[in-house]
Amino acid sequence: MPDQEKEKEKAAAGVSAADTPAPAASGKTEEGDAQHFFGEPLVGFDPSGITGQLVVIEGMDGSGRSTQIALLQEWLESEGFAVQTSGLRRSNLVGRDIDQLLAKNAVTRLTLALMYATDFFDQVEHRILPALRAGTVVLADRFIFTLIARGVVRGINRDYLAGLYAMALRPHLTFWLNVRPETAFAREFKKAQAISYWEAGRDMSLSHDLYWSFIRYQTMIKREFEVMAKRHSFIELDGEASVSTVNKQLRLRVGEQLGIRATKYTPSAALAHLWR
Amino acid sequence: MENPDVAQKQPRSEPPKSTLPQPGRPVPSRAYPGALIVVEGTDGSGKSTQLYLLKRWLEIGGYRLHFTEWNSSPLVKSATRRGKQRRLLTPTTFSLLHAADFADRCERQIMPLLQGDYLVLADRYIYTAFARDASRGCPPRWLRNLYRFAPVPDITFYFRAPLDVAVNRILSGRPKLKYYEAGMDLGLSYDRPESFRLFQARILEEYDRMVDSDNFVVLDGTIAVNKLQKQMRDIVASKIDLKRFAPRPQEAE
Repeated sequence: MPDQEKEKEKAAAGVSAADTPAPAASGKTEEGDAQHFFGEPLVGFDPSGITGQLVVIEGMDGSGRSTQIALLQEWLESEGFAVQTSGLRRSNLVGRDIDQLLAKNAVTRLTLALMYATDFFDQVEHRILPALRAGTVVLADRFIFTLIARGVVRGINRDYLAGLYAMALRPHLTFWLNVRPETAFAREFKKAQAISYWEAGRDMSLSHDLYWSFIRYQTMIKREFEVMAKRHSFIELDGEASVSTVNKQLRLRVGEQLGIRATKYTPSAALAHLWR
Repeated sequence: MENPDVAQKQPRSEPPKSTLPQPGRPVPSRAYPGALIVVEGTDGSGKSTQLYLLKRWLEIGGYRLHFTEWNSSPLVKSATRRGKQRRLLTPTTFSLLHAADFADRCERQIMPLLQGDYLVLADRYIYTAFARDASRGCPPRWLRNLYRFAPVPDITFYFRAPLDVAVNRILSGRPKLKYYEAGMDLGLSYDRPESFRLFQARILEEYDRMVDSDNFVVLDGTIAVNKLQKQMRDIVASKIDLKRFAPRPQEAE
């Protein structure tokens, strides 16, 4: 009985997740495509050869995403899995252009959102999909959820953004490293001795005080994540816990997904400084 | 410092929907006082010449106007150019980059000027993306959603020329067709002029499909330039209250 119920739940979650991001796409989408994409299938790409796994780590700045990805990559490689990473602004097509737009601060919210979408799909087409076809584990440092949250808090229609990302690949696992904005602020400040304009959401004129601007902005983003967490069955982890604790939970779930039984791991000397 | 913060925060809580035109609405929004005239049509249909002449007519008359061209935002231009040169673009990223370009012009020029009571003339508009990107295989519903922030034009002129006429105008005047312009990325033919012809045929079909759904005013791109311009001016004068864009009374007197 419990197993059956679980399966039912899974099926229900799968259906609702397929419908919510792209209301326009319901009905016509074939079952095979729905398994791989949120809504519409990506033009010119056949997802049938996907043998790799797409693992997404989401969370605000200072939630420990990049640390955990570095550790996960080392662990997976030591277990014999090929790993590819992706992240925002890393596309060959427009990654650097976005950096320039951000530096100039002359860009409007919608243009920026569409440039990020271009960056995202370029990476899906040229980095993520080829890797998944080759059986690689793709560790994504942020995904469409951050991009949607950033747009929504800036007043871009939620359905618009969901439709924009209807052709995004559906991750096999999505982790959300949830931390309090206050913790994130402390960690980010310690890292760079400063808080960047965009991290603090300064474009939104929330406060002239950098700290309050950061807290308010990240709180708004966090609220959006809470909404999406249910809809897209995020695996929520307490980002306030120690690096080793969070990493152990990640290894357990990823190990389960990949069929790795022994999930013991101690970082190499190169990464030992991350392990606290 | 606290009070201005609170004051500034208020407008942000407005529902976002009110500022965004709804998808697929067939009538122009009355949320702004300005007016929007756009020209569409395949390459070689004569639309740019006609819009230029319309612009000259209005400029000479002293009307408040702004002219905007497809694919011209300086912020996005370098990315588009690089993507085309290195052939990095797929149907999806091609479409998204052009949408980013359009969004930049829309948010920084078209919308503010429509709010500021200007007559805005656009050489190519969202229908170019609908026709061209759908010809590349992008899902039409996705495209409609992508551009749903765009204001609906007051008049959309569709310059229709038979495929052979339009294609020959382009082929005779241009030494070499560019890769994406010829639709080489679609793999229709290894021969560029032939690929261009096949691509343009698809685009023409997509345009024709929008005539009714998007209230196109169809004009015959094969008739004499001055006669066509007369038709265009008559339609503009009948559909748009041009007086409101005329020079201000104190300036005229």
